[in-house]
Amino acid sequence: MGDAMSGYSCVDHGLVDAILERYPREEPSLIQVLQDVQRAYNFLPCEVLTRVSRELGVPLSKVFSVATFYKAFSLTPQGRVIIKVCTGTACHIRGAPLLIEEVQRRLGILPGGTTEDAAFSLHTVNCVGACAMAPVVIVGDKYLGNAKAAGLAAHLTRGE
Amino acid sequence: MPTLTIDGHTVHADHGQFLLAACRSAGIQIPTLCDHPAVEPYGGCRLCVVDVTRPEWNGWCKMVVACLFPVEDGIVVHTASTRVIEVRKVVLDLLLARCPDTPLVRDLAARHGILATSYVRNQQPTDCILCGLCTRICDRMGMSAIGSVDRGAGREIATPFREPPAACIGCLACAEICPTGFIRYESGTARRKIWDKDFDMLRCPRCGRSHITVAQADFFAGRGGVPRSYFEICDVCKRKDLAVAATRLACATETPAR
Repeated sequence: MGDAMSGYSCVDHGLVDAILERYPREEPSLIQVLQDVQRAYNFLPCEVLTRVSRELGVPLSKVFSVATFYKAFSLTPQGRVIIKVCTGTACHIRGAPLLIEEVQRRLGILPGGTTEDAAFSLHTVNCVGACAMAPVVIVGDKYLGNAKAAGLAAHLTRGE
Repeated sequence: MPTLTIDGHTVHADHGQFLLAACRSAGIQIPTLCDHPAVEPYGGCRLCVVDVTRPEWNGWCKMVVACLFPVEDGIVVHTASTRVIEVRKVVLDLLLARCPDTPLVRDLAARHGILATSYVRNQQPTDCILCGLCTRICDRMGMSAIGSVDRGAGREIATPFREPPAACIGCLACAEICPTGFIRYESGTARRKIWDKDFDMLRCPRCGRSHITVAQADFFAGRGGVPRSYFEICDVCKRKDLAVAATRLACATETPAR
């Protein structure tokens, strides 16, 4: 408790219990459990990983291996909405750097960063396979094709 | 019993045997970095690539890693074809870019005619070749205290959360098996330190030598079957005891016969 920086200490174990209930307590369940944990907490808290390791009988080193291998998992808290700016060749040429700059300016975070109120995280990705509508920005589940810096503001509001 | 041809020699191999073992039993040397008799084959270093073909394949051949390829009857193997040597050179060239200062890698590369890497030299040279021997021996020991972390160019061998590993018992198996000496440790008469974790040493009650960590003795004793005191006595003293017992036994059986 008390380590405000990590944010790891105030974990609601009820969520983990519910997740662990859904799967057989064995090694093959690992990735599904981690995916659900990621969804529930927006990241993989250390103590939850330790718990998962114990409950599934998988060594902690293996759990950590998997947690660090897949891009879908994050060990640091992520925002509720994740913004992915594609920086593939087509998007790059059609203005991805401007889009990144715009998001950075509006939210005050660098790629890989999360806003202080945990509303948004910004990531750059290499290619989302939608080059025909370059440049592409993905806000949450929404794909914005032919994105323009001026049009991004509407998607970066914190309101419901 | 599968019969195959390796570099023109007819070789009889065992069922389920891997090609690397078959080559070695035929006296053919193939360079490897991640193979070790103590652990399962891994196919990590890609140095043991060989060409495999069959007479009916009309000259077509496939490249496989010998350490993970189970022998098949009738295959024809080339362990040093131009193609194979080229691939090994690429692997060594890349490895030399990653580990430019590591003697093991430099020597092996030099033996293949590569004195300097043709790729961009690693800006943070490391001695870790990612052969995975340390993690595999740790699994084998039953601890699994260390693992492979991250992916791609950033992959490394590390402990969970990069903290001193709770599961480690300080047995040094990882450091001993490491072919490049990348895994560092300090070991003295009272303390041992590896992976940033401190261990108390256990002294042999007979000779006073610090031979294992307290955590090792606890772990071995915890597996059951053998009392803790067995692990507290060092191997040297155990051998001495055995020698004394054997001598006594020999004398006792010899004397009445004379």
